[in-house]
Amino acid sequence: MVCGNMAGLELLSDQGYRLDGRKASELRKVQARMGVFAQADGSAYLEQGNTKALAVVYGPHEIRGSRSWIRHDRAVINCQYSMATFSTAERKRRPHGDRKSTEMSLHLKQTFEAAVMTQLYPRSQIDIYVKILQSDGGNYSVCVNAATLAVIDAGIPMRDYVCACSVGFVDETPLADLCYAEESGGVSSLALALLPRGGQIALLQMDARLHQDHLDALIEAAMTACKGVGKVLDEVVRLHLKEVSVLTGE
Amino acid sequence: MLKSKTFVKKTRAGGVMKIVREHYLRDDIWCGSEICAECKQESAVLQTDASIESDLCSYPHYVIPDTNVVLHQIDVLEDPVIRNVIILQTVLQEVRHRSAPVYKRLKDIIHEQEKHFYTFTNEHHRETFIEREPGESANDSNDRAIRVAAKWYSQHLKKAESEADGLKVVLLTNDQGNKQKAEESGLLVYRFEEYIKSLLGNPELVDRLALSNDDKHDITSSKVLFPEHLHLSRIQAGIKSGTFLQGTFRASRDNYLEATVFVQGEGEDSTEVLIQGLQNLNRAVYQDLVAVQLLPRSQWVAPSSVVLQDEGAAKDDNEEDKEEEDEEKSLRISAAAEAARKPTGQIVGIIKRNWRPFCGMLNLSQIKESTRHLFTPADRRIPRIRIETRQASTLAGQRIMVAIDGWPKHSRYPNGHFVRSLGNAGDKETEQEVLLLEHDIPHQAFSQAVLSFLPKMPWAITPEDMGRREDLRLLTVCSVDPPGCTDIDDALHCRELDNGNLEVGVHIADVSHFIRPGNAMDKEAASRGTTVYLCGKRIDMVPELLSSNLCSLRSNVERLAFSCIWEMNHKAEIIKTRFTKSVIKSKASLTYAEAQMMIDDSTKNDDITKSLRGLNKLAKVLKRKRIEKGALTLSSLEVRFHIDSETHDPIDLQTKELMETNSMVEEFMLLANISVARKIYDEFPDCAMLRKHPAPPPSNYDILLKAAKSKDVEIHTDSAKALADSLDVARVDGFPYFNTLLRILATRCMMQAVYFCSGMDSDFHHYGLASAIYTHFTSPIRRYADIIVHRLLAVAIAADSTYPDLMDKQKQSALSINLNYRHKMSQYAQRASVAFHTQLFFKSRGILNEEGFVLFVRKNAIIVLIPKFGLEGTVFFDAKDKAGPNLHFDEEGPTLKVEQHTFHIFDMVKVTISLDASNIQHQKIRMSLIEPVISGVSVPAPDVEPLAKKPKLDR
Amino acid sequence: MAADMRLPTIQKPVSLSVSAFDRKDLVVPGDVITSDTGFMRGHGTYVDDDKLTASVAGEVQRVDKLICVRPLKTRFNGEVGDVVVGRVTEVQQKRWKVETNSRLDSILLLSSVNLPGGELRRRSAEDELTMREYLQEGDLISAEVQSVFSDGALSMHTRSLKYGKLGQGVLVQLSPSLIKRQKTHFHNLPCGASIILGNNGFVWLYPTPEQQEEEAGGFYTNLEPVGLSDREVISRLRNCLLALAAHKVLLYDTSVLYCYESSVHHQVKDILKPEVMEEIVMLTQQKLLEQEG
Repeated sequence: MVCGNMAGLELLSDQGYRLDGRKASELRKVQARMGVFAQADGSAYLEQGNTKALAVVYGPHEIRGSRSWIRHDRAVINCQYSMATFSTAERKRRPHGDRKSTEMSLHLKQTFEAAVMTQLYPRSQIDIYVKILQSDGGNYSVCVNAATLAVIDAGIPMRDYVCACSVGFVDETPLADLCYAEESGGVSSLALALLPRGGQIALLQMDARLHQDHLDALIEAAMTACKGVGKVLDEVVRLHLKEVSVLTGE
Repeated sequence: MLKSKTFVKKTRAGGVMKIVREHYLRDDIWCGSEICAECKQESAVLQTDASIESDLCSYPHYVIPDTNVVLHQIDVLEDPVIRNVIILQTVLQEVRHRSAPVYKRLKDIIHEQEKHFYTFTNEHHRETFIEREPGESANDSNDRAIRVAAKWYSQHLKKAESEADGLKVVLLTNDQGNKQKAEESGLLVYRFEEYIKSLLGNPELVDRLALSNDDKHDITSSKVLFPEHLHLSRIQAGIKSGTFLQGTFRASRDNYLEATVFVQGEGEDSTEVLIQGLQNLNRAVYQDLVAVQLLPRSQWVAPSSVVLQDEGAAKDDNEEDKEEEDEEKSLRISAAAEAARKPTGQIVGIIKRNWRPFCGMLNLSQIKESTRHLFTPADRRIPRIRIETRQASTLAGQRIMVAIDGWPKHSRYPNGHFVRSLGNAGDKETEQEVLLLEHDIPHQAFSQAVLSFLPKMPWAITPEDMGRREDLRLLTVCSVDPPGCTDIDDALHCRELDNGNLEVGVHIADVSHFIRPGNAMDKEAASRGTTVYLCGKRIDMVPELLSSNLCSLRSNVERLAFSCIWEMNHKAEIIKTRFTKSVIKSKASLTYAEAQMMIDDSTKNDDITKSLRGLNKLAKVLKRKRIEKGALTLSSLEVRFHIDSETHDPIDLQTKELMETNSMVEEFMLLANISVARKIYDEFPDCAMLRKHPAPPPSNYDILLKAAKSKDVEIHTDSAKALADSLDVARVDGFPYFNTLLRILATRCMMQAVYFCSGMDSDFHHYGLASAIYTHFTSPIRRYADIIVHRLLAVAIAADSTYPDLMDKQKQSALSINLNYRHKMSQYAQRASVAFHTQLFFKSRGILNEEGFVLFVRKNAIIVLIPKFGLEGTVFFDAKDKAGPNLHFDEEGPTLKVEQHTFHIFDMVKVTISLDASNIQHQKIRMSLIEPVISGVSVPAPDVEPLAKKPKLDR
Repeated sequence: MAADMRLPTIQKPVSLSVSAFDRKDLVVPGDVITSDTGFMRGHGTYVDDDKLTASVAGEVQRVDKLICVRPLKTRFNGEVGDVVVGRVTEVQQKRWKVETNSRLDSILLLSSVNLPGGELRRRSAEDELTMREYLQEGDLISAEVQSVFSDGALSMHTRSLKYGKLGQGVLVQLSPSLIKRQKTHFHNLPCGASIILGNNGFVWLYPTPEQQEEEAGGFYTNLEPVGLSDREVISRLRNCLLALAAHKVLLYDTSVLYCYESSVHHQVKDILKPEVMEEIVMLTQQKLLEQEG
């Protein structure tokens, strides 16, 4: 057919390389550290390529603020997503509670309510604060991954890790873990948060139009990507666990 | 999977935006050479035995061209001789950036296996990645990247040298600085020309070299002929401020000194700017995107109706200039007299060249030893091109392709280079090739990739297919087509039901069963858009196995079909409509004539005949109803050649005969198309592929009205119905052919019918058929639109599943644009083919004297239609070599007064027809006036050679 | 004033012995501990598909048939008898709410405190009105866990003279898992200050009282200015605590004391510099080993 995005960037070359040199299913380099703050109950810093996020967890603790939040059968999860003024190419004041970050906060909340065993802590509250320090695509996924580490660091029980990854669809090929250039290149993408061991989906989010026939393939690719992320997170957690347990000298 | 260091690239765009991108470097990018044992590539592209005979490089080698070489010399690179080339990613990206057509061609070469072109992703390879140094320009950085990659290759291959003897890499660049630096770093580097000239086996390649900048100077005289083009930035500023207009350059077919620039405004609001004179045309070539500056109103002119051709043979520039000045002067004087002036402008710059290789012929230089010759393109809208070739004597008399390289301001003609030869001019094969190329009709044999999607033979209907389809094998289905038709895509049946009603079925070949969305065959078909019928040749849209066998609804074989079945009463009112995928077995493949005979033969009473009679009866009712609603029956003379079965030369030609059965089939096809259009539009209001025929703007009818008025006949054009009715009653006593002529004129007033996507448009009306909605469903073998409609209908009746592009109205819309383009081009090609065969016919028949009618009156000519041959020709009244007669043109009539005689539209004239072969490239039918006799204009009737066989039909 | 600033640096990777990698008892959330159904599910685990699965990252502990996973770091899981240090967050009817780094605020009932004027006294309505005079929002107290409610909240009492309102001193908040359980969590250190190592990770450093006077129900606070030397000792102890915590050394009187002793060569403000911290902690650990050995 005559159409094609000749004008824009070539997102996937004939040789199968993407803009940044990755192949279609390759993730960006993931680096993470747990327990970066002493004061918080749990904290983590995670880089996925050039997207960098800091997650901090407080709780479970007594509900502060309105008592109407109290749930007598489980803990309430409170998420707050924000972006640093310097996180994007254009420096911009980002007031709290703008539509985008409210939506993102809500998504994070839904994601973690699916994974954290909130029923163990009735009447209490768990705060998850995530800040994007540098944004280069896949903000949601990076936040989820960082927050997972922070929750684990806080010793809050979870059914499994929650791993998230975005996947885009270009030339009939799913591309894992989109960077900003790809995200803005008019790719229809979806973000998926997965509990990798059981394969349960914690959250699936997609704004773009995509034909139904491709959805399964795309979700399949997203799940594979999430499992890849899961592996990296697992390594980070185990290493952290060993380091700390060596230090405590047992 | 390997992830290497993260590099950070910074680019600043506009203000202080800082873009940081990751750049992964890899270890798993292989060199692509067969001899390399180190790289773990699955299939090596570059051969071990990469030798080409060259007196520069006597050793086997791979070639690495730089960006400019690829951009300018793609014609040479396309030659099968050039193999084992490494295309670096840096080069590929830059080419993509700078020229989309070259990029596409380059990609085609890379995909071709025999070419052994390998793409090396150097920018992501750990060892060949370079970072741009501070102060280094993007170009220098790219050049360095190319050198680094070349260096890497030469070292990499050295490691594997034990196996192959001295395989080397050769860098080709025309950039002096780059070459020097490469030599310093010890690379083998040559200029491209140097390298190509050194190739021993293929001297003809040299001709295809595009001229590089330094070559161009010595070709042209120092005299500056054209104003300088403005720089792009100034053009953009001018367009923004409104001083310049941006538009597509459309050269006039008839007058090389005139052109229009089509300026696309917002919405419907687009204008045309007239450009006259060489200086104002300023080196723009047909289809270029240009910037125009409007001249002050006082200098505006009207388009001239003079037909002017750049006929001068290769003379000296100066001589030509003089002549041109004269021509221009005459043009201006005549223009100044006109009242109806149009916005006129001059071209100040070229925004984007839209050059493609052009077909045409060489005009040999008068100096024998000269290597520079003028090339005359077949398309008159393209200026002549100066090329350099050493094989001029061989190429003379051949149809060749030439690409333009540039048009310096002191050159009268653009400079170009030879691309390839198509064969001897006048050969049917060559001419057909030219015709196809000039009309951009994809006509290569189907690629292996496409053929791989054909069903395996022997093919049979599987039980699964059978289970999912309705079994209609027992119905008395038959097909009616023109004689010799092998791609039968429709068949019909009609039977009486128990309740007294009639069941009518239209069965269409189920092509979409074989062509699945998205595969190579589908893409190829979508790109071809339509089957092109030329005289004696058919360029298939789908491979022959499908078009003439598996899809063709031949008699007495089981075939898959998509059926549209109505229940009708005897008044042809539809009671029920249903669509189903089916299996049919046609009982007979009839021609129109055969079917007509069966209907008329009262002794016949078999099922097929009964079925046909039923159909015929209903069709008549349908046709009457349709015409009552205001459908137009227009006329265009279609001719048919009787082609000699052995020589394939046309031996006779006849206008197509229409029988009742023609219209019978047509009625049911229309009905099926309308029924399907309704169904798919109901189901998919946003993405149905429909066909519309817009009502022509009233001004289109001017010529028709004027013509009718001249014979005191009134034509109403307020609606299709009014037009149809007034055409029906338009008669002039003693002029039986008048009505047909009027209808021919009316046809010329019509708009093109087009495909469109229902979600992108609100006007669905089909003017000619007087139907509120219409589509094409009945010919999926030869039209791609029908395949899409089949798919939509299949989804609508839950017989098939959808796919994304089908539901995407943007993509549908883009597809319909392509289909419209292909459709238009195929019609043009068809006409051109008829014209060519007409010429062949007249060549064999010699000179003929015929009667004809004046169809149009022009300023210096009349256009005459010979009904007998459906042939149209121009009778010129002015000639270059002698003083013209006294001409007086009256636009109101329009009439043309030549000396004493005044020509009106529809006047009957007698002309002599002969083939003018003086210009082998544009052989044309020459008509000269015999009657009325005007002294100094008409010619005495020549003797007509006696005919061996009298043409048997006269309408 | 010169300030010492440095960029954050990546912590030196801890050299892990081979044995550390092989530890089977370290699990992460989602790890299956056993698919044997004979075990009982303890904290930090859940049953999924009949498999006992970890829900936190930490160390598996098995007591008979009970399997729990103890996370490395967690909020305070109070048990009866634990000494805690906490801060009053709310004064309610008949009770105070105290933040004790627990999952829910702990509760100190009016009936669980010693009110001035005798051990055994009925709580009158008047006492409820004057609760804020005894303890108000923001006050720090030491207390002992009396019982645990079903939702995990702790009920505390201060029915001993050692518990009660805390006066002048420094609070250090650390991870509860670093506090070693001991007979007593109240220590008068020989260096001249006292320490309360709350089981909840809150550590209270304060000048050693002159004499063990009978405080009136523990609601009296001494507001006499504290001498410079005492303040310096307390500051040094605070930094020592942080240093030990950073290196995950268990906190109890001996470890704190050894650390204090190791740090005397450095200025108080230098203790938290990573290299000094490392040196001091190394010395402390050696001393502890020597003492144990």
